[in-house]
Amino acid sequence: MDLDAILEIGNQCIHSEPPVCVASCPVHMDVIGFITEIQKKDFVKAYKIMENRIPFARLIGKICDHPCETNCVRKNAGESIRISELEKIVVNLGYMPPKKPLPLPKNKGKVAVIGGGLSGLSAAIELDKKGYQVTIYEKSNRLGGSFWDYAGKELELSVIEEELSIIEKKGIAVYYNTQVTADKLKEYFDQYDALYLGTASWEEKLNINPQTFQVNDTALFAGGKLQTDGDSLIYTYSTGKRAAVSIDRFINKTAMLASREREGIFQTKLDFKVDKVAASEPVEKTADIYLADEAVEEAKRCLKCQCNDCYNVCAHMQRFNITPDSYIRNINHNERIILGTHHANDMINACTECGLCKVVCPVDIGMQDIIHETRRSMVERGKMPQSAHDFALKDMNYSNSDYFSFVRKQPSKEASKELFYYPTIAFSGYARGLYKGSGKTGYLFYPGCQLSSTHTDYIGDIYKHLVDVIKDKDADNDVGLYLGCCGAPADWAGRNDLMNESVEKIRKAWEEMEEPTFILACSSCSATFKKYLPMIKTISLWEVLEKYGLPKIEVKPGRRVFNVHDACATRENASIHESIRNIVKTLGHTIEEFEFSKEKAKCCGYGGLVSYANKEQACDFVEDRKEESDHDILVYCAMCKDSIVKGNKRAYHILDLIYGNEIDQNEPQTMPTLSQRQNNRKRLKHTLLKEIWKEDDQMSAEINYDFTLHIPDEIVTIMEERFILLSDISKVIDNAIKNKERFYNPQTKQYLSRLRIQNVTFWVQYVSEGSDIFVKDVYSHRMEVVER
Amino acid sequence: MELVSKEIKWVCDKCQEELVIEKVTAKYLEGSFEVELHKCPKCKMVFISEDLALGKMLEVEKGLEDK
Repeated sequence: MDLDAILEIGNQCIHSEPPVCVASCPVHMDVIGFITEIQKKDFVKAYKIMENRIPFARLIGKICDHPCETNCVRKNAGESIRISELEKIVVNLGYMPPKKPLPLPKNKGKVAVIGGGLSGLSAAIELDKKGYQVTIYEKSNRLGGSFWDYAGKELELSVIEEELSIIEKKGIAVYYNTQVTADKLKEYFDQYDALYLGTASWEEKLNINPQTFQVNDTALFAGGKLQTDGDSLIYTYSTGKRAAVSIDRFINKTAMLASREREGIFQTKLDFKVDKVAASEPVEKTADIYLADEAVEEAKRCLKCQCNDCYNVCAHMQRFNITPDSYIRNINHNERIILGTHHANDMINACTECGLCKVVCPVDIGMQDIIHETRRSMVERGKMPQSAHDFALKDMNYSNSDYFSFVRKQPSKEASKELFYYPTIAFSGYARGLYKGSGKTGYLFYPGCQLSSTHTDYIGDIYKHLVDVIKDKDADNDVGLYLGCCGAPADWAGRNDLMNESVEKIRKAWEEMEEPTFILACSSCSATFKKYLPMIKTISLWEVLEKYGLPKIEVKPGRRVFNVHDACATRENASIHESIRNIVKTLGHTIEEFEFSKEKAKCCGYGGLVSYANKEQACDFVEDRKEESDHDILVYCAMCKDSIVKGNKRAYHILDLIYGNEIDQNEPQTMPTLSQRQNNRKRLKHTLLKEIWKEDDQMSAEINYDFTLHIPDEIVTIMEERFILLSDISKVIDNAIKNKERFYNPQTKQYLSRLRIQNVTFWVQYVSEGSDIFVKDVYSHRMEVVER
Repeated sequence: MELVSKEIKWVCDKCQEELVIEKVTAKYLEGSFEVELHKCPKCKMVFISEDLALGKMLEVEKGLEDK
């Protein structure tokens, strides 16, 4: 796995990209942090945030020309946040006199600052902070430059004086009434390590580097009005601060330009959209400046612009409170760690790999492929937790075993006269003898494992319908049947080995059947075929039904309203979305679309095997869907139905509508248990082989135990939670009875027995009354206990 | 940590023996440890309670899986 490549993807994530207010502030004040403190009415903390970026915040805060406000995104939904007004009240209510500065050694070098105006002062303060011995040369008898233009107006005289006194308190030497000329400056080059020129004008034209503020690669740096047109006070001020960074690097002989691309005003990649934001007007002042409560109200208008587009639509990112930037860093760490705990395993196995994040991402970052690659890598390195996908993979193995899997051509006309409708009126091709049957298998119906598990009784009917309608309209192409699992669980589990096996098996069957078109009823199969078997032509059952017609079933008049929950695996398959909607319309029902449907479909929580690896996470996905729905939900994926029904929300599979099976609105809807699902698959194979191909299925024979199990509902619930099958319990009891391998509790008269089946030890607690076994409890563990 | 409570009412059904606390080996993935558990002194069958299986044992299993 190329970790550097995924880290690069993570770096493209704009979640941490600054909002436009911060990017357009020359000193990058943390506007969102500032606003947040005001919302909490903590003006002292809000002031600290200002002060952190702006020395003399007490002065600047009152007079800043606020480019942040000019660019505020809020202006497209009302008016900009009045950041400058907020700064004024924060200065008034949050200013705290500075603590006495600690005398730090000033031994990094000597710097002269010429001009004690805004930029000169900011350069001096920054250099002093960095440990330089700073000397200011000021031509007038006071520091502060254009601060004095505001005296008696925005700024109180005494406050200006108090603030400027900080300079000398810090130990910065100031020479007043000292005019520095070009000649004098030359002398300073010998006395100082670097010079900063922050005067309003200079005798000669200087060639100032706009990034570093350095003049001609010399020890001279210049900013302030010499470098800007002086229009923006905060920009002028910022040049001194930035020049101080250059001076520090110059003296230390480090790279002048490294990592400074985003200094000053820059273009943020964040393009925060306000199209869904309700417009709001600024809070009006009732006095000269905001009152505290007014400020709080105004602060509440801030949108706190940040890209959370994926996070907002993903129950997984919400559960782990993470966005792709940090998610990818976590994956990187998890992959590189050699000794220690792989803390991100749980998270990695809780992504449904549904792909919605990429659809909504403004910079096209998707976690689906990254998670998939990560899981593969975990498997390869032997670091995939066994318990995460074990049950699902065993179940897949069952689906691809002879208990369920088989492939057959369409039975011949002679052999299936009673089964399919062969009209005798001689107007159609096949009735005149052109239709041979069992010729070329043009189509292979592949219902998939999950639909067969939970909607077993539809499969035979659909198959017969397909044969009927296709021989009617496309007589050259017979319809075969193939039961099995496409391998999606292996794909989700990162099991390349099992995936390849599964793909090979399907490819072989396809070749043996002379390359038919697969009719797929499962959305995950569609996705798997597209990804791993691109040579096989496929069509969804829904498109076939739309094209060739629905079974002629008497259905109750429609007019019901449904929310269609699209299967996330069909995200890119618009023709399936269309066919489903057309079928629903044909049946006379109405659809109320979810906001998140079609290409923006949300996962039901089954995807990525999350319902096996992390049940709580899977529940979040269902809850999310439920929240959005006002009606019964209509699905066309068996897994979706299973998840939604388990989340206590009524769900119809489209086949329920097609075959007119109403759901009792007065009864809680249930889905088959894990054991029933396996049994249903076995039963389906048996029934179809017998009914359609007149074959006896040896595999379907039930194992006869000489006891009868009685399992109360609450134990069935526990079995589902713990992935324990009825067949596991039977094996434990059988062993307990035959070999007496069990404990007995004389007080409760209960038995407790265990049996290790493959990599799991199952325990069953029960009461025995003759051949009746009453199960009281079941549990399991993976750890092996050596009995000797 | 104490993995077993001293009082236990279960007996081995095959040997009709009361269970004793003894050191047994538990293994999972790369991990192998000695723990004191109830077992039949005769046939050595080890008793694992639900609390143990779903508590400490599961915790250790998870810990080893994430190593």
